[in-house]
Amino acid sequence: MKILAVCGFGVGSSMILKMTIQKAIRELGVDAQVVHTDISDAASHKPDVIFTSKEFVNDLERRTNANLYAIKTYSNLEEVKSQLQRAVEDLKQETE
Amino acid sequence: MAAPIQKKHMQIIEHVSGYDAAIRLASEPLLNDGYITNDYVEAMIESIKKHGPYIVLAEEFALPHARPSEAVLETGLSLLLVQKGVDLEGRNVKLFIVLAAKDSTSHQDYLKGLAEFLMEPANLKAVLACEDVDCIKTILDERWSPSS
Repeated sequence: MKILAVCGFGVGSSMILKMTIQKAIRELGVDAQVVHTDISDAASHKPDVIFTSKEFVNDLERRTNANLYAIKTYSNLEEVKSQLQRAVEDLKQETE
Repeated sequence: MAAPIQKKHMQIIEHVSGYDAAIRLASEPLLNDGYITNDYVEAMIESIKKHGPYIVLAEEFALPHARPSEAVLETGLSLLLVQKGVDLEGRNVKLFIVLAAKDSTSHQDYLKGLAEFLMEPANLKAVLACEDVDCIKTILDERWSPSS
C-alpha cells in the first residue's frame, strides 16, 4: 500500500504526519510505504491512500482517485492508527 | 542530545490578543537574528487564514510555518509559550514553535526529533506546565529524541 501524507506546503506538517504514520505502520505491522508532499503535487505520486486534514479533502477528491482519510491532529498516534486500520480494511474490500 | 532551539529563541508570556499576535511575537527572535524577514511572518499567518488550523499538530501545540522562500535566510526554530492559551481557528493553543525552513530538506532532522517528542503526550504536558524558559529548555534537551 502506498500512502501519501499531504499538507499545504509539504515541508512541515506533512513531514510530522509521515513520521506518525510510519510509527503506526510499525506498531500495526502493516505492509505500506509512506511519502509526504504538498497539495499541488499529490496527484503525481499516484498513491493508494492519502492522509491529510479535512480542509484539503475536497480539493484532493477532485485531483486523485486515492482513498482519502482526514486526520485532525497529525501527531496523534491513536488517531492515525485507527485511520490506518480503516484504510487497510477499505482497500481489502475493494480488491475482493 | 540538545533540542535544536536556542534558549534566546524561547519566550513565555501570560496572554496574547490572538494567534496572529502570538505568531508575530514567537517570530521576533528569528527576525532579530536574521533568520527570516517579515514577509515570512505574514506568510505563516496568511496560510492559517487560507488552510485552517491543521498546523495544530498536537493538543495545544502549533507549528506555524510557510513555504521555503527567499524570506527565509537560515533554517531555525523559535518557541513561545502562551500560558493562558489563545484561539487558533477554533482550537486552543498554548505552545507555538515557529519553523523557518529555507529549503525542503535542511530541517528534516529537527522535525524527526519533534515528531517523536510530540507522539508522547507527557512530554508536551511537561513543557506546558513550565513557568520560565529554563524549565522549557531543560525538558526539551532531556526529551527531544535524536533522529532514529
